[in-house]
Amino acid sequence: MNFTLKQGSWLWVSGLAVLLVVGPFLAVAIALAGQVAAIDWSLLLEDAYLRSVIWFSIWQASLSTLLSVGLALPLARALARRHFAGRDLLLRVFSVALVVPAIVAVFGLVVVHGRQGWVNELLRFLDLSSGSYLYGLIGILLAHVFFNLPLVTRIVLQRMETIEPESWRLASQLGMSSWQHWRVLEWPHIRAVLAPVAALIFALCFTSFAIVMSLGGGPRATTLEVAIYQAVRLDFDLPLATQLSLVQLLLCGIILWLGLRLGRPTDISHSLGMSVERPDTRAIVGKALDVLFILLGLVLVVLPLSGVVLAGINDHWLQVLGDQQLWMAAWNSLWVAMSAAFLCLFMAWGLLLMQRHTRQRWPWSAALIDALGMMTLVVPALVLGTGLFLALRNWVDVMAINLYLVLLVNSVLGLPFMLRVLTTPYLQLAQQHDRLCSSLGVSGWYRLRHIEWPVLRPAMGLGLAIVAAFSVGDLGVVALFGTPDVKTLPLLMYQRLGSYQADAAAVTAVMLLALCLLVFVLLEKGIGSRRA
Amino acid sequence: MLELKDLVVQQGQSQFHFTGVLKEHKCTALMGPSGSGKTTLLNVLAGFVEPAQGELTWQGQDLLSLMPAQRPFTSLFQEHNLFAHLNLADNVGLGLHPGLSLTKAQRQEVEVALQQVGLQGMGQRLPASLSGGQRQRTALARALVRRQPWLLLDEPFSALDPGLRQEMISLVAELQAEHNLSIVLVTHDPQEALKMASEVMFIAEGGVYWQGQGTDFLQQQSAPIQRYLGH
Repeated sequence: MNFTLKQGSWLWVSGLAVLLVVGPFLAVAIALAGQVAAIDWSLLLEDAYLRSVIWFSIWQASLSTLLSVGLALPLARALARRHFAGRDLLLRVFSVALVVPAIVAVFGLVVVHGRQGWVNELLRFLDLSSGSYLYGLIGILLAHVFFNLPLVTRIVLQRMETIEPESWRLASQLGMSSWQHWRVLEWPHIRAVLAPVAALIFALCFTSFAIVMSLGGGPRATTLEVAIYQAVRLDFDLPLATQLSLVQLLLCGIILWLGLRLGRPTDISHSLGMSVERPDTRAIVGKALDVLFILLGLVLVVLPLSGVVLAGINDHWLQVLGDQQLWMAAWNSLWVAMSAAFLCLFMAWGLLLMQRHTRQRWPWSAALIDALGMMTLVVPALVLGTGLFLALRNWVDVMAINLYLVLLVNSVLGLPFMLRVLTTPYLQLAQQHDRLCSSLGVSGWYRLRHIEWPVLRPAMGLGLAIVAAFSVGDLGVVALFGTPDVKTLPLLMYQRLGSYQADAAAVTAVMLLALCLLVFVLLEKGIGSRRA
Repeated sequence: MLELKDLVVQQGQSQFHFTGVLKEHKCTALMGPSGSGKTTLLNVLAGFVEPAQGELTWQGQDLLSLMPAQRPFTSLFQEHNLFAHLNLADNVGLGLHPGLSLTKAQRQEVEVALQQVGLQGMGQRLPASLSGGQRQRTALARALVRRQPWLLLDEPFSALDPGLRQEMISLVAELQAEHNLSIVLVTHDPQEALKMASEVMFIAEGGVYWQGQGTDFLQQQSAPIQRYLGH
């Protein structure tokens, strides 16, 4: 249906939102284009260091993806089959793991796997050889699995729970074996989401910054994202930074494009649903394997998190809490994250508004807006930050407005997540009520206030919570723009880790984790919960 | 009289040409095979679909330049007539002010309208707690408070049980007499249509195929009408 375009008021709102999203990308494109002439492309072929950086980026991302997905499949299956005390708690922890700040996860891994960590203590106690294994590829993989195993597990589990109960009853009547269950029932349900999820995880690991920076342990384990940071922040070699950014864009784009071509994206839904009785829970081998994988999940995800909490129980609280730096940093983190989340919501709402109004008349424009929202998955944080830095440095003192830039970049980066949560309910609402709204003249502010806000509140709350929590823990863009005077909590934490103030870092980590969860819960419950 | 003059509408692959008149203070049934464009015509009248060309006038006024909310129509759809998160009083109240800033007198008016459709005292209930028939009554109450001269009914009762449907038809007839409404009704069922409507507009072959009195309609011998009636 061609809905009339006579309402004009929405135009400037959504136009502003689109401008806010497109602006940074345009600035980046122009800034990078300005450096292209100075690039020495022969470096790519001749420079051994560059080649090793590119190779290592691909290698660690492939391994991380393989491990995360490879472990998530049996773990999800185990969680679908077994119902034990604490299962719900475990799933809850898994859903929290996604928003744990990278630097906090790194700290948790240090507590468990570091030179003085729990594993080495245990080995020493058993009189076995102990040593340092964390820094380098192993540490990076452990951290990437910490973040991505829970994500893939939840998505796969959710897909498994969409299998009809009748299918299971039919399967048990037909006497299918465990392997046949997998092949006939589970795999077809999971296959469709696996390729995009794997591509997403590859892209996330490929562009991982804070983790590689703190656990990489030197030039042998450096990724493109870290190399871009070094080129800008340490060497100020802008042509090199541009060259690396372009290589990164290209590789990331190819992977995500492949992932989307091979499957279809899945909604990140919040509910974990009810699980059905499955007929394949009795075999002994299956039981043993399930227990094994659940334990592995506990060790890989829950142990580092408990490490953070336990290490935080020390007598440095008074000293750390008395430090004004901490409170300044916490305040900076808080307002930047909150503003970024609401700005992101505004962008997403504006894009959806424009999409709704142009959907029928110009399908291409709706597709374009769709693509725009997903663009940030291809353009990594540091590329965006670097581009903005280049674009703005001739006009303003970039370091003076650094937190506002961090805010802007974080909200653009959060857009794909916000849109994923918001798009389906928004378009559903539009489909059901567009005619009624226009016949009653419910538009503009009235529509927002009386129709969209009450109905979309849960989705908005979840979206805001995710983006704000991500933003609280951000240690990417802020590393590029941070100054000694203006810090955020993750930046402070990173410095304390680097200067071997382990106890102070532990307290900061607990603070950061608490702030992150607090922001998440406040936004999700405060905004998301419906009035009765 | 509502005049439709050479209205051309493009919907996907099909094109429609509508020319005809709809009489005031009568109930006109739009009939025709499915896909013939009945609902499209209602959407053009209400302003949800913009015609490529043509004229739509009422009392000498051009309606096409008006926004849906400014036109002299109020619509009742088959479903999604109510906002699930708003209570009945608010759902009806939206018909008086799209931002729900209602005066005391207007709130009173809402209560009276609910009473007229047999839902007195239920203003605080949410739509989810109602039956399908009660929901359509609520939508009807909103149509009443909007005080628009034309009521557009798009198969509003087809999801109801036969008994309830009968009840709703009587209710609409009562309200029409009381408020002197002009009604355009889309329905699948010729029996139901002729019970309510004195006029028929038959839509087929991409436009208004036949128009006249309901009593004459059943006597028509032309092939499309015969085929439609199953004779």
